[in-house]
Amino acid sequence: MYLATITFQQFTQLSANGVINGAAYGLLGVGFALILGVTGRFHFAFSFTYSLAAYFVFTLHNRGPHLNLWLALAVGLALITALGVGIERYVYQPLAVRAGATALLAVFVAALGIGIAGENLIRLFWGSSSQSITGLAQKPIHLFKNRAIFLNYDVYQVVSAAGLVMILAALLRFTPLGRAIKATRGNPEMAQIIGINPRIIYMVCFAIGTLFSGVAAFWYSIKFAVVPDMGLRPVIFAFVVAFLAGTARSPIRVFLIGIAVSLIEQWSSMVMSVRWTQTAVFVILVVYLISLSVDPKTLLARARGGLASAKA
Amino acid sequence: MEIWFNYLNIALIFVVFALSLNLLLGYAGQVSVAHASFGAIGGYSMGYFAMVRHWNFVPGVLVGMLVSLIFGIAVALCALKLSVEYIILLTLAVASVILGVFSTFKQLGGSYGLIGIPVANLFGWKMENPRDWVVPLLVVAAIVYVFCWRIGESPFGRVLKGVREDDRATEALGKSVFRYKVLVFAISSMLAGLAGGLYSSYLHLATPGVFGFSISLAIFAMVIFGGMANLTGSVLGAIVVQGSQPLLERVVKLSPERAGFVRLALYGLLLLVLMRLRPQGVLPEGFSLWRRLRGGGNDRARIEMVKDAIPAVVSFQNIHEHEDEPSHDAQVAKEKAWGASALVLQVRGLTKHFGGIIAADDLTMDLHKGTITALVGPNGAGKTTVFNLLTGYIKPDAGSVQLNGVDLIGHSPHEVARRGMVRSFQDVRLFMRLSCLQNVAMAVQGQPGEHLVPLFFSPRSVDKAETATKEKALEWLRFVGMDQFADIPAGALSYGQSKLVALARVLATEADVLLLDEPASGIDTQWVEAMLALIESLRTQGRTICIVEHNLHVVGRLADHTYFMELGSITAQGTIEELTAAPRLAAAYFGT
Repeated sequence: MYLATITFQQFTQLSANGVINGAAYGLLGVGFALILGVTGRFHFAFSFTYSLAAYFVFTLHNRGPHLNLWLALAVGLALITALGVGIERYVYQPLAVRAGATALLAVFVAALGIGIAGENLIRLFWGSSSQSITGLAQKPIHLFKNRAIFLNYDVYQVVSAAGLVMILAALLRFTPLGRAIKATRGNPEMAQIIGINPRIIYMVCFAIGTLFSGVAAFWYSIKFAVVPDMGLRPVIFAFVVAFLAGTARSPIRVFLIGIAVSLIEQWSSMVMSVRWTQTAVFVILVVYLISLSVDPKTLLARARGGLASAKA
Repeated sequence: MEIWFNYLNIALIFVVFALSLNLLLGYAGQVSVAHASFGAIGGYSMGYFAMVRHWNFVPGVLVGMLVSLIFGIAVALCALKLSVEYIILLTLAVASVILGVFSTFKQLGGSYGLIGIPVANLFGWKMENPRDWVVPLLVVAAIVYVFCWRIGESPFGRVLKGVREDDRATEALGKSVFRYKVLVFAISSMLAGLAGGLYSSYLHLATPGVFGFSISLAIFAMVIFGGMANLTGSVLGAIVVQGSQPLLERVVKLSPERAGFVRLALYGLLLLVLMRLRPQGVLPEGFSLWRRLRGGGNDRARIEMVKDAIPAVVSFQNIHEHEDEPSHDAQVAKEKAWGASALVLQVRGLTKHFGGIIAADDLTMDLHKGTITALVGPNGAGKTTVFNLLTGYIKPDAGSVQLNGVDLIGHSPHEVARRGMVRSFQDVRLFMRLSCLQNVAMAVQGQPGEHLVPLFFSPRSVDKAETATKEKALEWLRFVGMDQFADIPAGALSYGQSKLVALARVLATEADVLLLDEPASGIDTQWVEAMLALIESLRTQGRTICIVEHNLHVVGRLADHTYFMELGSITAQGTIEELTAAPRLAAAYFGT
């Protein structure tokens, strides 16, 4: 009944929204999957670096030095990337070494601490009210005879997200650094034996993942607003995407899964109330996790696939 | 004054939240970041029945606890085989689903939630002001503390710690990990439901914000801060985290909003500092202020004293003097005696394929009472896989395993252990944070304290049985010469010492059939001698033993009969002398 009332125009619009939001979920999912898959760190503070990136750009462009928007973005991304690397180098690595077999939990708790402290420090420094990053002209774009309308920001977001993912995929496939990352993901001890320094690889992964989160945060804040808790929801979606896709899988696959998750979220509004759509994504995740729990063959395959306990 | 009662009441409610999470996280090692959501189930249930059905708040809270318990069981069933990172994600998803679902029902107030829940009425006493709540909440918090303490510091809690440390090893000792995980999730969720019901009744509202993700994180932080598996630590954690709010507002004179941010920022940073400097929390597991005040010993000093000590069995050689490998005639005699002994374990046609890899191919083997059988072969032959197949860790594709005439195929590892066949692990798998005594005590079978009903309704018989269990565990530690290490955490032992404790743990199950995976590997010569002497004495006691071993000297010394495995198949059997004399087998084994 509900489905019958949906027009083709609405379907087209929902699909366009799905691709646009999915590009952000996918980019974040790729960043998180790279970090978790290679380093074994459940980097919950990803939500903090996401929010902080937006605040850096906002401050550099709209408040303090009033830098050009693109320069502010470059400086903001550089700062946030340095912070991500610093967290890995000075917080997670020492903790993981000390915690040994319980490294995953120790790092998760520390990341939680950074996430909680970070969000509230943002509130203390910048306040709780929403801020805006201005300076980029907003233009509507009409597709398919006005059946889908979106903004020029959305195109930039999709293109930049897809571009970054393609660059990462190429880096992993064709460069010595990429091969070193994949070797470390497969077996860090063996990688060390053949001359790769896993600590440096881990920092590289944090740099890439944090950079990706910064780009996603920038487009979100350009389109909507800069708020202290802006990181939580997209980052939880990033977790969903990364786990559904598999943290040891190719960035392109993870990115496409991000778009698929977003499309499911959007399309589900055709058959159910909009209030249920986010819940639907989590229901899918729960079903997926249950399937992992009850099917030992899948579990075994995932264990072989990559992540996990060996790195903990 | 009412404002201070208000702070106290909220802290007491969070004490209940923190205690319940500690049972799950600290004792059982199950990471949940959805604890406030279980509280939401309690809170919304109570609120719904109070507002819509006009129930009294007590039955409303009880129903909320029941619903939370059912949700807890459901989550536990989903989480059973998941690793830590997947459980984090699962609980995150469950929290989102619970709050998402609640926000969509008009009957539950939609996205606003239930606002204006009627004043609680406790047997005719209207609890309108914060001061009215203090005594009831103190009583509830005290009852929950005692309840959690009874569970956590009992044989039941010891098994939970086993699940936390190593669920495979716990299962190998005859404990159903499934049962314990489900029970602890259910109990923890039920108590969170209680806290949620009280919280909503106290605040007169049940909204997504009241039970939001940040509240789950705050409860998590309280447990980590106080110390995992230390209930007093959780009380301290809840009071410190909640108590900092009035301190910042009243003493530092910050606005309530700013005080809230500063408080959250501080405890986030505190978590970070704690993980770096004191990961075990302010009050570590096993720490008791009462014991300290009574002059309890310095654990670290005791560990330093004994960690390099030689166990009695090694230093005094009190079981056997060093023995050489038996002569040819003696080996032949042992082989004959092996065949003449009663058949205990009969394996026929055991087959297992992993895709194209043949792990076990039509295996046939026997174990006889009071004898030692060895399983030898090159690396990758599938010897440990055979142990996994025999003990239910891997389900075979075909074949039968009969223990004293009873087929074990399809039984879980803990059922196999209970039926009298127990295995050790090549990588020892002691419970590192538990003392040697606790490690061995967990293996003792038939403990009433491992079940909730006797734990609460027959406390005397449980206490009596626990005393007997500890005496028995100490006996087995004494048997392997490790009784002086009883109070030392297993993680502080050297490798050789831990192998002996692992043997004591296997022996404490009093199983008839022992499968020992490389009992003498990786340890010094002096420890090898001790280990061999102990295993020989077990044969004298009439135990049926099967060893997987690479050291042919060890096999020659111990084995009455030897099976030779290659690529998942048993290709030869006899005495080790006969097997190593065959050029093809020698080439297969040594790779020459």
